Amino acid sequence: MLTLRIAFRNILRQKRRSLLTGLSMTGGYMLFVFAYSLLEGSYGNIIDIFTLDNTGHIQVHKEDYLDKPKIYKSVQDRATVESTLSDHPKVKSFTPRVFSPALAYGTDKTAPSRVIGVDTETEPTVSRLREKVSEGNYFSTAPDADGYYEAMIGHGLATSLKIGVADEIVLISQGADGSIANDIFVVAAIIGNRTSFDRMAVYLPLATAQEFLAMGGDVHEYAMLIDHRDNSRRVADELAGFLPDLTVSPWEEVQATFYRTMQSDRQGNNFMMGLIVFIVFIGVLNTVLMSVLERTREFGVLRAIGARPASLIRLITLETSILATISVLLGMVLIAPMVYWLSQVGFLVPEPIDMGGIEFQHMKGEFSLQVFLTPMMFMLVTAILISIPPGIRAARILPKEAMGAH
Amino acid sequence: MKRFILLLCLYLPFTTTASEEARARSIIDEMEQLYRGDSSDATITMEVETPQYQRTLKMTGQSLGKELAFFRILSPKKDRGVATLKRDEEMWNYFPKINKVIKVPPSMMMGSWMGSDFTNDDLVKETQLIDAYHLSMTEDKAMYRVTLTPKEQTVTVWGKIDYVISKDPLLPVSQSFYDEDGEKIRELTFLEPREYEGKLMPSILEMTPLNKEGHKTRIIYDAITFNVPGITKQTFSMRNLKSRF
Repeated sequence: MLTLRIAFRNILRQKRRSLLTGLSMTGGYMLFVFAYSLLEGSYGNIIDIFTLDNTGHIQVHKEDYLDKPKIYKSVQDRATVESTLSDHPKVKSFTPRVFSPALAYGTDKTAPSRVIGVDTETEPTVSRLREKVSEGNYFSTAPDADGYYEAMIGHGLATSLKIGVADEIVLISQGADGSIANDIFVVAAIIGNRTSFDRMAVYLPLATAQEFLAMGGDVHEYAMLIDHRDNSRRVADELAGFLPDLTVSPWEEVQATFYRTMQSDRQGNNFMMGLIVFIVFIGVLNTVLMSVLERTREFGVLRAIGARPASLIRLITLETSILATISVLLGMVLIAPMVYWLSQVGFLVPEPIDMGGIEFQHMKGEFSLQVFLTPMMFMLVTAILISIPPGIRAARILPKEAMGAH
Repeated sequence: MKRFILLLCLYLPFTTTASEEARARSIIDEMEQLYRGDSSDATITMEVETPQYQRTLKMTGQSLGKELAFFRILSPKKDRGVATLKRDEEMWNYFPKINKVIKVPPSMMMGSWMGSDFTNDDLVKETQLIDAYHLSMTEDKAMYRVTLTPKEQTVTVWGKIDYVISKDPLLPVSQSFYDEDGEKIRELTFLEPREYEGKLMPSILEMTPLNKEGHKTRIIYDAITFNVPGITKQTFSMRNLKSRF
């Protein structure tokens, strides 16, 4: 208690110096929080782009379909999967899909394409397929007057085959029973633009695709959205417990390349933020050293009346920590509204970022406890570390010499 | 005289191999002829077995000489009417549902024919063993064993084919296909000889790829007639390929 009182007295003794040191820490903390929020926010943004656009937060497949897709590696017991997914409280929506490569024919052109069979009702609850319709109308499961089923094709495919809405498209592929799948479909809509991941895709209603590929009622994939992207691993583990015969992959595994790139990018950014803190604390170190030097006499007296070296170190550490805590709390109060604004409104990007046919105009930050606490912990730990060397210096003071100092 | 004997000694081995190759050639020619006649009209059942599915196709097949062949699937209903035309070294598939003739590109020649373990290449090239391969033969009491090695100019994926033929009756028994490293890749066996119009021939051809576990294709000849007057060059025209039936 005595140490605490002495610590407070010392901070208040040099008000101007303490204020300036405190402000530099406050500034450092605010900068840290702001950069951190923006960084996490933009990662979150990118993750949202592909998880909400297509992959979903978690996917369920048979065996190693994700790495080595084969048409017969399909989910057969759909009832179990669907009841498991609808019973899980964190799963918001899910949708089944089938895939197969196919050769597409326009009137006189050919192009390789990818058939994606989706449930027309549940797909829009997981992906942005409906929003990506750039021409025509979202397809229906019913055949047209001539008995042809509807398909939606990617922008790239439409361009290379030179076909548009209401034209016919012929698909040839390999059926699951070894037969050659071949059929005519009518184009109901064009999807996305030329940068979309599915620019060469042909979307078919699920039942139509299953019949085309002779798959019966089987599907290749379940994609789902959960309450928050950060819970993907935990929920995936829980679901895996219910579905022992299937492979449950969070988006971190589905988009493994992106995830690894993101992690290494994050490390680089952490280094940069470490550097900010380092520069701030060089100034802080200077302050602490100075206050130790000018109090040499005082420490000498303390030592002479029986203060132990360890309690001197503690005293100096405490002084710095108190100052750092006050600065950080002040910084938090000042920066919180700004981070909130960043997460809700964000910067207007001069040129909209186009992600697979969906435009993003605002660069947004993240507003979460983590964004405030991580820099705070970092600042406090650094404050303690940095006050140890001056503390040791103070502890080594010999009373005899110190008494003679000015 | 001495010189003559020397010459003879040098020459003799060649004459024997030459005549042996000619014998092997005639035996294999006879085997090839067995299923073909001048022209043939067959009803075939094809059973494809894989770890994932079983499939049975019924089809008709016509041939004229070595160069022309035509297949049309009768069942299952989904594939009814799908047809394959082979002319010389070219192949086309016809799909009635989309009314399209698609030429099988050279890159797809080693691809599966109608989802079976037979390749498109088997249909096109099977009848040209004699021209494309060097033949050497050994025989024992019951069997001829002909080894076919590709000629330099032959384009093939096989390093060697072992063809076993029984002597009495003179019928094919098996063909083993090896890759260039000498590893056996697949085996075609000829089973259950049956008489068709007085002609004895194996009624089942069974293809087993050794590099794909659980895969097997059986071709069963339900009926076959030879030298059919109705089969002419017109049978193997694009127009006939595209005709609805």
